[in-house]
Amino acid sequence: MKSNQYSVKIYETTITDEEKFIAFFELNHTLFKDHLIVIQGSFSTRIKKYLKKRSLTYLHNIDLPKGRSRKALEEEFEEERRENAVSMQIAEAELKKLSSRLQNNLTVLDKMIRSGREINIDGDLLLLNRVNSGATLNIKGNLIITNVVEGLIRCGGNFMMLTASPKANIIFHDVTVDNELLEDKLNRVELKNNEIIITPVLKKEISWA
Amino acid sequence: MGIIIAVISGKGGVGKTTATANLGLGIGMNDQKCIVVDFDIGQRNLDMILGLENRVVYDMVQVMDEEATLKQAIIKSKVNENLFFLAASQSKDKSVLDSSKVEKMVTKLKEDFDFVILDSPAGIESGFEHTIEFADAAIVVVNPEVSSIRDADRAIGILDSKSNKVKHGEDVAKYLIINRIVANMVESGEMLKSEDILEILDIKLLGKVPEDRGVIEASNRGKPVILDKKSIAGQAYSRISGRLCGQQVDMKDVEISDSGLFKKIVGIFK
Repeated sequence: MKSNQYSVKIYETTITDEEKFIAFFELNHTLFKDHLIVIQGSFSTRIKKYLKKRSLTYLHNIDLPKGRSRKALEEEFEEERRENAVSMQIAEAELKKLSSRLQNNLTVLDKMIRSGREINIDGDLLLLNRVNSGATLNIKGNLIITNVVEGLIRCGGNFMMLTASPKANIIFHDVTVDNELLEDKLNRVELKNNEIIITPVLKKEISWA
Repeated sequence: MGIIIAVISGKGGVGKTTATANLGLGIGMNDQKCIVVDFDIGQRNLDMILGLENRVVYDMVQVMDEEATLKQAIIKSKVNENLFFLAASQSKDKSVLDSSKVEKMVTKLKEDFDFVILDSPAGIESGFEHTIEFADAAIVVVNPEVSSIRDADRAIGILDSKSNKVKHGEDVAKYLIINRIVANMVESGEMLKSEDILEILDIKLLGKVPEDRGVIEASNRGKPVILDKKSIAGQAYSRISGRLCGQQVDMKDVEISDSGLFKKIVGIFK
C-alpha cells in the first residue's frame, strides 16, 4: 500500500450570508491558498463557481476529527514534563541509595595488619591480606577481607565478607557475631530488615591468587 | 662496610640474648669479623652468656658520652678471635640513649666490622626503638606459642614504621628464628607449627632451633651452646650462622621427633 500523509490547515465555516462570504474571500483568498475549506450546511452554485474561480480547495459537509486546542496540548506537555522530572528524581534517589549500599569511597589495602595496628576508615575497605591477632579495624562502610582475620573487626556497613578464625572478634553494627556461626571459609554477613544474615559464600574454599 | 642486624622479639625470655651470643660466635667461626652489642641498658646479660662479665670496664653509654673510646670499650672474646663485644651500662637506664649518639656509634662499628649484631631489650619502648632505628636487617626470635607470636608481630609492625631505612623508602630485611621447638609437642598439636607462624608473621625463615637442656647450662658457664658440637641447639645455631654468612645450608626439620621419624619410615613400608 502506498500512502501519503499531510498536515493541512482547515478553515471550517457555515454560510449564512453569501455576500459577506464572497466579500471576505475577495479580501483574504490569498491567505486561504494552502487551506482546506470545509463548508458545513448548504450553499448555492454561485459560491461553488466563486470557489472554483479562485481555485480554492473545498469539501462539503464532512465530519472533521476535532484536534485539541493549543492550550490543552501545552498543558499536557507540561504535565508530562513534570511527571518525567519526578520519576527521574525517584530513579536518581534509588540509584544513590543502591550505590551507597554497594560502595562509598573504597580503600584498597594490600598489607598485613599486624598486632597493635588500628585502622579507621569512613568508607569501604577491600583488604587483600591478613588481620593478625591484636590488630583492630574500624570500618564505617562495607568490608571485604580476602585472607584470615584473627583480630578485632568493627563494621558498620551494609555487608562484609570475611574468613574468621576462632580467635577473631567480629562486631557488625554493634552486635558481636558469634564465631561459631562463621564457617572456616569466606562468609557473607549482611544487614537485611534489621536482621544479620550470615551465608557461606562458596562451598569450597577459594584461592584468590 | 658491614651490616647492622637487630635481634628483636617483642616478648621477653624467648632467647634473644642466647641467639645473639650464639650467632655472634657462629659468624666468628665462619671467619667474619663480628661485634655483638648489648642494647639492654640497665639489664645487661650478654656479658655473662659470653663469659666476659669480669672483662667489662667501659660500657656503650660511656662511649656515646665520650667518656671512653670505642677501642677501650670493645672486649675481645676469649674463645674466638673474630668475635668482639660491647657491653650495656648496668647502672643507667634506657632513657640515656639518644638517636644521634646511637647513630654515630653504630656507623663507626659498621665501618670496622662485617657484622654488627644489636641485642635489643624486650618490649617496644625507647630502648627497642633505638636498636631498630639504624638496623639494616632484623632477626626476629619467637617461641612457638601465641603470646610470643603476637608480641613479635607488634615488634615487626613498629620496625616497619619507625626504622630509619623504612623512612627513606627502603625495606628492612626481616628473618625469623623459631626457638625452643619441642618436636613431640608440635607433632601432638600442642605447639604451633612453623608454617602457621610463618603465615602469621609473613617474614623469611632463617632457622629453627630445638629445645635443648644444654642451653641453660651453657649460658650459666658462659660458653655459648654453639661450642658444643653434640648439642642439637648448637648445631641449629651453626646452620643459621652459615646461612647468615651466605652459605647454602638446607633446613633441617627439627619438628619431627626421632620416634615421629621412625613412625614415618614405618608408614612408608605399610
